[in-house]
Amino acid sequence: MVYFILKRLIQSVFVMIAVAFLAFSLFRFVGDPITQMTGVETSIEDQERLREELGLNDPFVAQFVRFTGDMLQGDFGYSYRTRQPVGEMIATRVPATLELGIVALLISLVVGIPTGVFTALRPRGFATQTILLTTLVGVSIPTFVIGIMLIFLFGVQLGWLPTFGRGGTVQIGGWETSLFTIDGWRALILPAITLGVYQLTLTMRLVRAEMMEVLRSDYIRFGMARGVPMRSLYFRHALANTMVPVITIIGLQFGGVIAFSIVTESVFQWPGMGLLFLESIRFVDIPVMGVYLVVIAFFFVLVNLIVDLLYLAIDPRLRVKDTS
Amino acid sequence: MKNLILKNSAMVAGALLIGAASASAAEFKWASNTDPQTMDPHAVNSAPVLSFLNNVYEGLVRRNQGMSIEGSLAESWEPLQDDDGWRFNLRQGVTFQDGAAFTSEDVMFSYERASNEAADVRSWFAPVSEVRVVDDFTIDFITKAPNPLFPDSIANFMILDKGWAEANGAELPARDAENHATMNVNGTGAFKVASRDPGVKTVLVPNEGWWGEATHNITEATFTPIGNAATGLAALLSSEIDFIQPIPLQDVAQVESRDGFKVLEGEETRVIMFGFGHEHEELLYSSDVTGKNPFADARVRLAAAHAIDIASIDRVLFRGKIEGASQLVPAGISGYSEANSDRPAYDPDRAKALLAEAGYPEGFSFGLKCPNDRYINDEALCRAAASMFAAVGLNAELSTGPVRDYWPQLREDAFDMYLLGWSPGTFDMEHPIRFLMSTPNKEKKLGSWNFGGYSNARVDELLPGIQREVNPAARQAMVDEVVAITQEEVAYIPLYTQPLIWAAKDNVDLTQRADNFFMLRWVTVN
Repeated sequence: MVYFILKRLIQSVFVMIAVAFLAFSLFRFVGDPITQMTGVETSIEDQERLREELGLNDPFVAQFVRFTGDMLQGDFGYSYRTRQPVGEMIATRVPATLELGIVALLISLVVGIPTGVFTALRPRGFATQTILLTTLVGVSIPTFVIGIMLIFLFGVQLGWLPTFGRGGTVQIGGWETSLFTIDGWRALILPAITLGVYQLTLTMRLVRAEMMEVLRSDYIRFGMARGVPMRSLYFRHALANTMVPVITIIGLQFGGVIAFSIVTESVFQWPGMGLLFLESIRFVDIPVMGVYLVVIAFFFVLVNLIVDLLYLAIDPRLRVKDTS
Repeated sequence: MKNLILKNSAMVAGALLIGAASASAAEFKWASNTDPQTMDPHAVNSAPVLSFLNNVYEGLVRRNQGMSIEGSLAESWEPLQDDDGWRFNLRQGVTFQDGAAFTSEDVMFSYERASNEAADVRSWFAPVSEVRVVDDFTIDFITKAPNPLFPDSIANFMILDKGWAEANGAELPARDAENHATMNVNGTGAFKVASRDPGVKTVLVPNEGWWGEATHNITEATFTPIGNAATGLAALLSSEIDFIQPIPLQDVAQVESRDGFKVLEGEETRVIMFGFGHEHEELLYSSDVTGKNPFADARVRLAAAHAIDIASIDRVLFRGKIEGASQLVPAGISGYSEANSDRPAYDPDRAKALLAEAGYPEGFSFGLKCPNDRYINDEALCRAAASMFAAVGLNAELSTGPVRDYWPQLREDAFDMYLLGWSPGTFDMEHPIRFLMSTPNKEKKLGSWNFGGYSNARVDELLPGIQREVNPAARQAMVDEVVAITQEEVAYIPLYTQPLIWAAKDNVDLTQRADNFFMLRWVTVN
């Protein structure tokens, strides 16, 4: 088990280096950091000197090796734009993104699984058709449009919820959280729904499809014939078996939720990593972009690892294989 | 806009009257699309940083609501008698926010800091040869030649406390890593920074010890950067913020239609123009002309100017909010050439005739480069212009891109024609002459934004005179000559002055300065 985790973590280093390499080879096309760092009156001479100082004249490979070398030693460098240490900048933005992602995931599970089961048990009901149609519309509209619509409805027209930012936050051991204030929760609702809509639809449809599949299988029929109560049959036997593939997909999707929270964060001015990344693109802040992408790659690896471990916990057959 | 200064002074008078009527204290929240990237006033020469820090730090001189220079940390200044340069008589009894006294030593220190290689603002001090402390409250800036504009050119040169900077290891602006001055502030200004979370929120509170008399009624001001325009508008309309700068043109009607909100409109000092690849041997993006550059011929450039219908652009794209420009600064800016205030009329027939005369009766195709995130409606403007050009036979192949990629392309000469906006940093005509009309010369630091390499010996010859001449009439005569030459040669096609569009709640009174700076000390919340 420990060996398994260690192996995965070592693999993750290679994944991150590969991501860093890809990212670096693309940065040259993003634009010129120097023109974004200096004012219009700065002389060309001074611009050239700055370019030299930052090592931007070095060949691509040299820049990449320097970046990875520093990263491996734990030195994430300094932002071109703000001069702050990149590690610190990203670290202060992680809580906002994680909280948003986790709450979005919870919303999608808490709503998605029951509706999925419901629509599987009554596949032809009017309510089922309505739910399926609504979620289809929901998943077809781009995230930012959903966000803007929610903002104008609940923020501007009704005035119930704030339109931007995190609201009240409190520091708990260096983790800035908005989960412990009313204000924070008010600010969190709309972005979490916006981010969670796609996940919710996906979860629901997945649970529905899997559930219908399982309900058709032999052991459920035997159970029915044997007179096992329907409730126990649905929720203990069928749902548990449904969850294995669902967990895989949802888990893998969670990495995507974190990575693609960029759009939601931008629409709600949510001060997470995604927003920082967007600002960094605008200013061609290469160190921040590089570290962000590597961190996201690490998240993906980590999520995959957790999914694998959850697998072991849920599916006893895998555990048997592992020990043999 | 007939006269920028006049219009602004009317606004000033209005603001002062309203300001006098109210006295209740208020919290104020505002947003803009860009966070000041540093709190160090010498590290970055960019409008978001300098605008924000002007609330906290102060210079020797400052700009008033009508953009003219007035005393700030210097009470008065006069040209030196024996040398070329200026003497500044400093204000006494001023303290920094940490309590330290302000003296000429701080000015000297700030000069050394701001003119250092590590400072992005050092170009302001290119004309300075030496600075001498005369006594605690007198300091001389010696210039290499007579420089009547020098005090105007250092309105954003902000003064740091020497002791504070030295004690905190912030002797120089941060180059690699951050230093104390990147995040912390110790100015003499009307406000001080209570807390800062970069990119998220910055809170300012009034500086009780400020030497000036406060005309605002703010008790606490919170700044939030909101990058997404729709989010910013929603924040205003839901009353979570009191003021936002800027808002997109298409949202003006939305704000005006709601009770309790207002749109503030003005003219920025930025002139939008088309530039040409004057020195290019041949067109780079043409499908029908090879081996020569039609834009090297002034008749072709004039034809392009006559093809543009500013009135239609104004009506369709700008909802009647722009004013056509005849030269590279708007009226009201010092040095504006009244004698040359006509712009080429919209005259497609004349344009076609000129093209035929130049040997292109059928017209030709060329590449037009435009940014799509730098100026208001920049991409739409270029689309409209391209169709106007096409109507006379100038077939523009338009390509647009984000500004982070746009400047490098212009630097690499990858254009036949391009769009540029210019705001004169010194608010004088000399600024665009130096940056846009002088023959590019790295050593003399001239023409650094003259991407097309426009070059006229007479213009180059006149510039030093314009920089030195103290007599206003003689100076204006030289400026008029430059403007006349560049108009005749169609060095650029000046299009219009960019509008300035802010939005606020009805109960907020503020001053919209033409340089797009927002000063908290001119805000009253009723």
